[in-house]
Parts: sequence; structure tokens; C-alpha cells
Amino acid sequence: MRMLLQFQKGDLVRHLGLLDLQRTIQRALRRSGLPISYSKGFNPHIVMSFASALSSGIPGDAELLDVSLSGEATERECLEKMNRVLPPALSVSRVRLVDDRFPKVTAALRQAQYRITLRGGDARKIADAVPAFLAEEEIMALRKSKRQEVMVNIRPMLHELTVDFDAEADCAVLSARVSFVEAATLKPELLMEALSAYAQAELPRCEIRRTQLFGLSGDQPVPLIDMQAP
Amino acid sequence: MLKDQIDALLDRVQKPARYMGGEMNSIIKDPDSVAIRYAFAFPDVYEVGMSHLGSRILYDIINKREDALCERVFMPWVDMADLMRAEHVPLFSMETRSPVGGFDMLGITLQYEMSYTNILEILDLSGIPLHSEDRTWEHPIVIAGGPCAFNPEPLYHFIDAFSIGDGEISTLETIDVVRRCKQEGVSRQECLRRLAGLRGVYVPSLYEAAYHEDGTLASFEPTEEGVPRTVVKNMVADLDRAEYPQSIIVPFMEIVHDRINIEVLRGCTRGCRFCQAGMIYRPVRERSMEHLLDLAKHLVDETGYEEITLSSLSTGDYSCLPQLAHELMERFAEKRVALSLPSLRLDSELKATLEETQKVRKTSLTYAMEAGTQRLRDVINKGITEEDLMSSVTDAFAGGWSSIKLYFMFGLPTETMEDLDGIADLAGKVVRKYFETPRNIRARGLRVNCSASCFVPKPFTPFQWEPQDTIEQFTEKQKHLCQIMRIKGVEFNWHEPHVSFLEAVFARGDRRVADVLEEAWRLGCRFDGWTDQFSFDKWMQAFANCGVDPAFYANRRREKDELLPWAFIDAGVTQAFLWRERERAVKAQITPDCRKGCQGCGLKRFEGACVGR
Repeated sequence: MRMLLQFQKGDLVRHLGLLDLQRTIQRALRRSGLPISYSKGFNPHIVMSFASALSSGIPGDAELLDVSLSGEATERECLEKMNRVLPPALSVSRVRLVDDRFPKVTAALRQAQYRITLRGGDARKIADAVPAFLAEEEIMALRKSKRQEVMVNIRPMLHELTVDFDAEADCAVLSARVSFVEAATLKPELLMEALSAYAQAELPRCEIRRTQLFGLSGDQPVPLIDMQAP
Repeated sequence: MLKDQIDALLDRVQKPARYMGGEMNSIIKDPDSVAIRYAFAFPDVYEVGMSHLGSRILYDIINKREDALCERVFMPWVDMADLMRAEHVPLFSMETRSPVGGFDMLGITLQYEMSYTNILEILDLSGIPLHSEDRTWEHPIVIAGGPCAFNPEPLYHFIDAFSIGDGEISTLETIDVVRRCKQEGVSRQECLRRLAGLRGVYVPSLYEAAYHEDGTLASFEPTEEGVPRTVVKNMVADLDRAEYPQSIIVPFMEIVHDRINIEVLRGCTRGCRFCQAGMIYRPVRERSMEHLLDLAKHLVDETGYEEITLSSLSTGDYSCLPQLAHELMERFAEKRVALSLPSLRLDSELKATLEETQKVRKTSLTYAMEAGTQRLRDVINKGITEEDLMSSVTDAFAGGWSSIKLYFMFGLPTETMEDLDGIADLAGKVVRKYFETPRNIRARGLRVNCSASCFVPKPFTPFQWEPQDTIEQFTEKQKHLCQIMRIKGVEFNWHEPHVSFLEAVFARGDRRVADVLEEAWRLGCRFDGWTDQFSFDKWMQAFANCGVDPAFYANRRREKDELLPWAFIDAGVTQAFLWRERERAVKAQITPDCRKGCQGCGLKRFEGACVGR
């Protein structure tokens, strides 16, 4: 049996890198009393994997972890036991038990949703540019990887973009659903660069948070934890 | 809000996890529910401080009180410290991100001399006046303890009170006094006076030092009636009755000793003459096996750690170590908890235990030989012989170990070039033993890691009167060692003598080096224990600016009748015993382990010490 855990990486712990997060969750699993399974060998470790590594500095509301269990447990028991042993900033919101043949969650990942908060500066100008930006069919942006820099059309990778502007706080909150598959991942930082360039505005400091991970059912986005086996 | 200000800084520093807080098992109490808020500072970065067992014990003990809370404070790394200064963010606690300057008490642990400039940095970042006499009730009472408190004088100006010896009981007593003083509304000065009345507590502002023309100490006296002339160290007689945490904080980031640490015994009776810990932590006290197993169970359940280490000055001396190791292995095998046994003495009968630990994980074996020849090992009373080492590595190589660490010191009293050659000789013999082990049983990849550190004479050791080698002497010996240590299979590491020289100054310094410390900090010294931060030039500048000669402290031979700056402390071992040991040392006469017969070190004067021996 496997346990899919949907958990938050809260603001307080947003700076945790993947290794720190891994170690912390492994120790929590060991404390939980759940029937976890270990790999063989001199350095036995817990068999688990994250759907996607979240960069250090970015919090997440619905991250997903896939853990192998060696025995029986109920979803409710897993949720309670995990929340007893995890710090509040890493609390689990949902648990789903699947059998061992269920496909790896990483393989089902297609899209991610981000909330991007812009405060002050050109926040309004950027917010106002969103409708025109979405009307474009092609938006070229410079994507940098370790090896190369290429101009790509990012518009097809942007599936949804909404914006709320709070005039009193001079603060724009954008919600973006973007592609998250190999070779066609749109990073929220790149999206914001492109949008601010389009608005001919200067990008203020932005807070990025990943709010959901999605798979696709047909062409409909489905939260990763709810994906059904094909 | 300060909390948000701090949070914003975390986006701009390396290793923000150092300042994050919110770890599992950290204790957050409502400040309004307690009378005393205690900030406990380790004057180094988070990952070093979090690895310190004593701090974890005191954190637990203080938080167990209903009327007090304890929050942790670490030294921010230079990037963070600079940002905090620029943005006017005061030093804050991990638990609630509260300004350190607002706590009732600030405890600082003194683990090594090279952290002293960080103490000044901590006070300054907290907005606490550096000098004790400039503080008011607006500021915390600043208390320091730990091994370096056995010569508190270099810090006399900066610390309100020192707690000398075991801290478990003393810490609680100091909290009681401060609480009562605050309730009664007495002056801060009166509070310090009352603290000075506690056993093991030294309040430097209540004493005066005078010096001879030659710079040696002429007198050291209390300035007020009723202040004790001698400060007697604190000692916890029964470790089973001493508090020990059943739950510890599990950090997010990897720390230096990232595992469960169980103190099996305190003190050491081997009597190595260079070793301060072996003298000041006497007598030997063991925790019972039932107690240790119970602690291990709780700690494994509460932390999820995958490794337990049994720690002490000499874990191999624990009377039922093989049974304990066996029990631990058996009980936690299912949870895949590995057991590690550091600071093993190779003269202990541990073969069976080693074979057990090997089942789970194979680590390298460490042998602290300390000196290269039997003569010099007799001088320092390090009771190991070459035969011990050889028989132990023979077993180890046959048992599948291939990584060996050898520790040595150089610059020891009476040392000659022959003793240095002995180091290379031993390393070479270990390598040969490996190749003598049949190829089909030995593990591949021989690694003999050999390191030599510069000897630093410490207070309350038989070598407290001895001069340290000068930097020039060290450098010359180091060159010689580098030449003779070019042995295939051996990796040789040495320590730079400059840091050891300063350690020697502050280990045996008096009140006059306090000014140098402050000057060095003003010149920008901090994190002196970190090679990339250490600046010897700045330190030399500080000595020059203050007109203090460091060689007077590091390289001078003290006479038997010289009044030593730390002589007002009764550390258990008497000065008479230490001198007797010094006399035996220069004649290369060994002194047996006192468990085989009392050597009259002075501890018998303490109630409850040396029971059953």
C-alpha cells in the first residue's frame, strides 16, 4: 500500500531545501508509528518521493508526497498520526491510500498553480495589462537553463491567469495556472518577467507561492491527489 | 513588527534555516505565564550550537519549571549579523523571535576560548552594554558557564556572574535568586551579591586583582564582607537523579552532531595530564543501564532520529558498555536505529561490541594516541601502548574496517624530535598491519587519517604551569612532521599554531586580557574559530594597542608559588595534586587510573563523590 500525503510547506519553513525537507519528513514518518517500509542495505532509508521539489524560498499549499507502507492503516489514522509528529508549518491536509500498482504521482503531474503577490511600485500597471496579455497568441520570453538561453513562446504554457488589485493596499494578487511538464514548464518568475515587460513596467518584489499541483483528466485539471488511475 | 522584519531578512542570507525556528519539539511558552524569561545563548552558529548536549539539558531543565521559560539564541553568521546591524534588527530568540535584550536572564555557554569575541558580538547585537557595571534592571542578568568558566578572568568585565561546574542544579538556583530579587524590587547590585552567595557562582565585580611589577598576580580578594574567598564548583553526585531530556528538538537543517546523544557517564579517572575535561569533570559518575535504555526509548520515539551515540569523555569506560550496546542494538533494530560509539579507548575490551555495531554501519575507528613515543605518553599519562594500538587495528582490519583515524598533539612538555618521529613510525606500522591482513578478509580502500594539533596548556591540569611552544617552534616542528609523514596510505593534517597560541593566552589569561578581547572585537574579530574569519593580524594589533604581551600568558613558565588567576576556584582537584602530577610528569612516571586506587586528587572532600570506590 502507498500513502499519498498532501501537505503544506508553510511560510515559516519556505526556505527549506529539498534535502532538509526530506530529512524532516523522514524523521516525522519514523516518529509517526505508521508501518513505513525501508530500503535494503547498510543505510536503510524510507521509501518515499515528492511529486515535485519546491525551490527553497517558495512556500506551497498543496505539495504531494508518495510513501510506501509495509502494513495496513486507514486514511484518517495516517492524517492524525502525521499531524501529531509534523511541525505546524508542515501540516498534512489530506491523505489518500492507493495500492502499490497505482502509477507514481510524479508521472501524472501536468500543471501547477501559483499565487503571486506584487506590492507597490508598478503593481497596478502590471495588473491592468493582464487582459491584453491574455489576448495575445504569442508571447516570446527568454528561457534560461544551465546550458542555454532560448526564446520560447510561453503563451501556450499559460492556461489561466486572473488578477485582483487592492487599491488601498496597492497590491496585486495574481493567480496563474501553468504547464509543469518536462520541456514545457513555465516558471512563475519567467511569467512575471514577461508580463512586466509586456506592461512596460518595472517588476516590484514578488512573493510567489505554489497553491496546487494538477494532473489532467482529458483536458480538465484535477488536483494531483484526486487523480484516478488511467 | 520585529518578526516580519526578521522574516524579510531571511530572503537575503545564506542558510536561512539557521534562523527559522519552529522545529519539532521546540518549546514555546506564553511569556505572560512565567516570572523569568531565560535566553540561552551558544556563541556560535546554529548548527554548531544545536549539537551541544549541555545546552539541550539546560533548555529542558529550565522549561520544565512552571515559572520560567527558556528560548535559544545563536550567533548569526556574519552575513546575517551585518544585515541586522544595517537594518537595526536586534538579536532575537529562536522560539518567539523576541529581542534578547528584553529577557530577564541571558545564559551563555563557554565551550572554547575562540568563541569569546562572539560573546561580545552577541551582547552588542542585543543592545546589552558590554560591561557589567553599565547594565541596569532593563538588561538581562548575564550568566556564563561551561568548561571555560574554570578560568573566568578574561571575561570578568562582560559577564555578571559565572556558574562553575555542573549546571543542572546551579542554573535553577540562579533563576530562584533572580526571581526573588525582581519580586522584592532590590537593586541589581544586591541581586549580584545574592548570586555570589550561591555555591559555584562567581561574581567578578565583587573581587579585586592586584599585580606585581613583573606582571604576575599579587593578590586576588573579595571587595566586600561575606563574599566567599574561594568559589567551590558545583557537582551533581547522582546522574540518575539529574534531569535529562526525554525529548529533544529535531532541527530542519543538518547540524554537526545530527543524532540522539546519550550521556552515559560524566568525568574521567584516567588522569591524562594535558586534559582539562578529565580534571574538572571529576569524579566519574555513571548513569544506570535501565535509565539509559529508558532515555533511549523516549528519545527514539520523540525524535525519529536514525542514530544514537553514547557520549562521555571515555565511553569505553562505562562499566556495562557491551550489555548496553547489545540491548540498544536489539531493541532498535526494527526501527533501523544505528549505534555509534565515539571516543572509544582502545584499551577497553570492546571487540564484541564493535562487531555488533558493525552489523548496522561501518564507521572509521579513532585512536587518540596523543604522542608518538612511549616515553612521552608516560609524561602525559596517556595509558596506551603501541601494542594496544597494534592489537586493536589488527582486529579492526580483520573485522572489515579500513578507515583509521589517529590523533596526536605536538608541542607537549619535554617533547623532542624523536617523539615527533614516533608519530610517523606509528602511522607507518598501522599501514603495514593493514597489508599484513590477508587480502580476502580485509576491506578495500585503506585510509589512515593522521592529525596533529598544537598543545595548549590549560588551567586545572598538571601542565598549567608549562610554557606553550612559540609559533616559531610549532612551525619548525610542523615542517619536520610534514616531511616524515609522507607515507603511502596516510593522510596527514595539522592545525595552524596561530589559533592555538591565542587559545593559550585566553585559557590562562587574567583580567588584563579582557581589554585585548574587547579591542580585537572592535577591530572586527569574530568567529575566530572559523579559518575564513580568523585574522591573526587584527589580534596582534589588539595586543599592541593594549600594551599587553601575549607571550607572557602563552609562552612563560610559571613558578610553583605563583598565584594563578584561577586559583580562587576549587575545581575539586587540588593545586597540590596537580603539582604532584606535574612532578611525576617530568620524570615520565605514570599515575594509574584512580579506580584502581585513590590518588588523592581532592575530590574525596566532596560529599557524594567517588562513592563505591
